[in-house]
Amino acid sequence: MRRPGPTSLPGQIALLVAVALFVAQALNFALLLRERRAFRFAEITLPAVTRLIDAAERTTAPRPVPTRDRMRGVRLVTDRMPALRGEPERDVEQAIRAGFADAGIRPGRIAARIRPIDEAEIQERGIGGQRAERLRRMGAVLDAAVELPGRGWLVSHTPWPMAERGLLWQSLAQTFILYVIVLLPVLWIGRRIAKPLRRLAVAAREFHPARPLPAIEPSGPQDVRLLISAFTDLGQRVNAMVDEKDRMLGAIGHDLRTPLAALRVRIESVEDDTDRARMAETIDEMNATLDDILSLARLGRPSEAATDVDVAALVDAVVDDFRDLGHDVDFVEAARVPLHLRPNLMRRAVRNLIENAIKYAGAAEVRVETGARAVAIVVADRGPGIPVDRMDAVFDPFTRLETSRNRETGGIGLGLALARAIVRDAGGEITLVNRDGGGLNATIRLPR
Amino acid sequence: MSDMADIPHLLLVDDERSIREPLAQYLTKQGFRVTQAGDAEGARARLNAYAIDLAILDIMMPGEDGLSLCRHIRETSETPVILLTARAEETDRIVGLEMGADDYVVKPFSPRELAARVKVVLRRTAGGAVRQHAPEAGSFAFAGWVLKTGERALVDREGVSVPLSTGEYNLLHALVTRPRQVLTRDQLLDLTQGREAAAFDRAIDNQVSRLRKKIETDVRNPEIIKTVWGGGYTLATEVTRL
Repeated sequence: MRRPGPTSLPGQIALLVAVALFVAQALNFALLLRERRAFRFAEITLPAVTRLIDAAERTTAPRPVPTRDRMRGVRLVTDRMPALRGEPERDVEQAIRAGFADAGIRPGRIAARIRPIDEAEIQERGIGGQRAERLRRMGAVLDAAVELPGRGWLVSHTPWPMAERGLLWQSLAQTFILYVIVLLPVLWIGRRIAKPLRRLAVAAREFHPARPLPAIEPSGPQDVRLLISAFTDLGQRVNAMVDEKDRMLGAIGHDLRTPLAALRVRIESVEDDTDRARMAETIDEMNATLDDILSLARLGRPSEAATDVDVAALVDAVVDDFRDLGHDVDFVEAARVPLHLRPNLMRRAVRNLIENAIKYAGAAEVRVETGARAVAIVVADRGPGIPVDRMDAVFDPFTRLETSRNRETGGIGLGLALARAIVRDAGGEITLVNRDGGGLNATIRLPR
Repeated sequence: MSDMADIPHLLLVDDERSIREPLAQYLTKQGFRVTQAGDAEGARARLNAYAIDLAILDIMMPGEDGLSLCRHIRETSETPVILLTARAEETDRIVGLEMGADDYVVKPFSPRELAARVKVVLRRTAGGAVRQHAPEAGSFAFAGWVLKTGERALVDREGVSVPLSTGEYNLLHALVTRPRQVLTRDQLLDLTQGREAAAFDRAIDNQVSRLRKKIETDVRNPEIIKTVWGGGYTLATEVTRL
């Protein structure tokens, strides 16, 4: 299952840094806000509450109705409930309630609201001097109303700092600037690490042990450079090992063929024709096996280039060679099918399948089936078939079905392994299926 | 009655004594005069000392190898060459034939087969006149087809290669190297036998009809491989060596 979010190295680092930055900024913001609140409480809310309490005490005093001046900006509204606009401010309401309780006054309903104030309103109300200046600076007004049961409402207006909203925007802008300053370099360094790693991954995936490792330019940070040069060394060691193996196989091939050739020449002096023929046959068999082993071992780096080949003609040619040797091979002629492959290796694969059919059944029926996407070369026989549980095992090198008691039909079971390796190299697959009524269908399927 | 003059003189060059000596014995028994050499240097000395009719050279030899020796022989004389190669790989065949060898056998080979090929090559090159001067390797273009000897493949106009069986290849090779010559069935049998044992038992007519199916536009009215009444077959088209 794929995890959500970016999967690349720079993406993950950037995401992590972004989240961490955001959390840090949010904490900062919360602390700042708390400090502002405390400051506001001390500097604005408390004096406002004090003025209200003051005013309340004056109104309850038995003295005559106080003037507005003495009330310090607090009005007593007696005829109606004052209509307040703006956002309710619960903190202030609580502060008022607590303040009145401390002062031993029992207020009725309490309302505190904040609304922004603009230049037009300041002008309209005819506020001037210092107060207008403060209002302009703070940008909002705290309207507070306290009901004194039976006497009316005390209403006050206090300049209120609007900066809290500005604070949020300021914080966001700060975060954004941080993101730009921090994330861009993080993305850049991430890319610097990730790019060579990605190239390395591609090189590793495309690496073929038999082909020289293409040079990868070490780049990026030191650790990545070390990794790249270590990988290059590894690839070169693998190349060297494969080269060594090829050289060894070549030497083995030569060193085994020479005594075989000597033996082959010497048996010509054997008088008995049957004996000599048997010996020659054994030598040929050994040689064929040697050929198979060498081909299988060298298949990683075929010397033959792939070309466009008419597969129908290829199969036809192989069948014709078998007929020349007097074998009973039936071939249904097919229309031309050009495919891109290594013709001599593919001949070998087809030959091995037909050889098996002849070994186990004495005859083979061959046909080429052309589909829209694939071409199938079917080699069918009426031999004993293969037990279902051994179907996979027959492809393993050096496996031979124990049912073949006869040494002559044995071989060492390299034929199918080699055929499969060749067909897979061409992008195809070999399948074996037992036929209805006995026998085996060996099918080479090649993509078109 | 000096028989010596009629007996073909072979030079057998192989560094492996275990092969060279019994082979020399066998070939002597088959009625050849055989001189042996264990390396290229010895071979050069004997080539200068004797009138050699045919050289059999092992390719893989320490020091100067068989291919280089073959090239030397081809540059200095008309002596036919048969190569012994340890590998059946295509590259060896191509290079060998490009060096001007007349034939090759792949180890381990049957001495009988080698003797048969020696006879065929000697017959083919008898008197020096009939010998094909052009090396057999290369490509032959005819009637829109290209026969590539190195890969033993026939390539059509679209560049798609049409694989040939050994018998088909040998027959077509015999025909394209002798365009517009009438070749009798016996001649064709002789020419095709020399290369691989496979075609021995196969009737020439059968191979011709298989080939026609592959290269003629109308099999019933062949334009390329024509039947000559009472004679045999002929390649009735221009052949260009590529």
